[in-house]
Amino acid sequence: MSTRYSRQTLFPPIGKEGQEKISSKHVLIIGAGALGSGNAEVMTRAGVGKLTIIDRDYVEASNLQRQQLYTEQDVADKLPKAAAAEKRLRTINSDVEIVALIGDATPEKLAELAEGVDLILDSTDNFETRMAINDIAQKYKIPWIYGACVASFGMSFTVIPGVTPCLNCLLKTVPIQGLTCDTGGIIGPAVQMAIAHQTAEALKILVEDWEAVRASFVSFDLWRNQYTSMKMGRAKDPGCLSCGEHPEYPYLSAENMTKTTVLCGRDTVQIRPPHSEGVDLSDMAARLKALGYEVKGNPYLLSAEMDENRFVLFQDGRALIHGTKDLAQAKSIYNRLLG
Amino acid sequence: MNKVLFFAHLRDEAGVESAEIEAAGKTVAQLKEIVAETYKLGKLDSAMAAINEEFAPNEEVIQEGDVIAFIPPVSGG
Repeated sequence: MSTRYSRQTLFPPIGKEGQEKISSKHVLIIGAGALGSGNAEVMTRAGVGKLTIIDRDYVEASNLQRQQLYTEQDVADKLPKAAAAEKRLRTINSDVEIVALIGDATPEKLAELAEGVDLILDSTDNFETRMAINDIAQKYKIPWIYGACVASFGMSFTVIPGVTPCLNCLLKTVPIQGLTCDTGGIIGPAVQMAIAHQTAEALKILVEDWEAVRASFVSFDLWRNQYTSMKMGRAKDPGCLSCGEHPEYPYLSAENMTKTTVLCGRDTVQIRPPHSEGVDLSDMAARLKALGYEVKGNPYLLSAEMDENRFVLFQDGRALIHGTKDLAQAKSIYNRLLG
Repeated sequence: MNKVLFFAHLRDEAGVESAEIEAAGKTVAQLKEIVAETYKLGKLDSAMAAINEEFAPNEEVIQEGDVIAFIPPVSGG
């Protein structure tokens, strides 16, 4: 199909030369939820050489409203998202080498996947993994693009090692916020807007048009008609432990990772986040009630139950997820509720 | 006088889009405390701050007339 990329190569900043670059590049996508589906589809249609995508979850009915790669059949088959994504992406563009992995994007896994990668597209639902991506990107000098969305808003920022500030410069710590797509809801357009920002940056990086890369941190609210661009010139922290003069890549070390433990004989997984700022339990209780959970609690903890889901959340951010022995599943439930 | 803007879910929690606050001479961290107290915002600590549309660290001192925006990092995806 010689005309396949004609409309993209007609665009002067890409051209034939740019297309050759795109088709020689390897993009790594972390997460195959809403952002992951959209980012993967745009990259596959654009004709990247190789696309690797990793996800630990499986397709559920509540995904279909916004996760564009998945179908009702995938829900019926309870397909892992990575497998369903791979199946669909192959039918879109057979020129692209698709590698789909079912599993958790731990720092070890990220280090293994980073080999030979030209760009990382963040499509995760939690800051712990993003901070690990940020450290891996600095360590191996790979550009990465932060993207996130919830309710009607979203944001994106492009991190280029050695050039821009990094996510650790901006956040300094892993924020816990209690507003995720599972608690605050999400509309399709907010997903698409985040994807548009991420993939436009991705194309610029793949064709090596560094001048065109957006230096600002963009955030938007499509319902309230807000759009803001924050200049980042002074955000780079020379003492940053991820990108500063003496990097230690703190989010690749075990002490900064969430500890998950199966509690023997209780069909329960304990999740303990590192250095938590603590959780506002009354705020969280209100959100969970709005979702239909039956919530009980005291000043120290809250217990929430809905159908087969039952968990206890402590003020320090620790949680006991009942009814499962599966570490990845428990972590997935935790991140969906707490971010 | 300074204008303070709330973005994303901070706007829902504060119940207003913006506020007028006397913040000249205070640091971003001090303003966060005042605003969190006034508007009962639980999670302002982790919000990013921009002064006149430029990222500002917690130690930055606010000048008369500066416009400060609080942007909470979002994690969904």
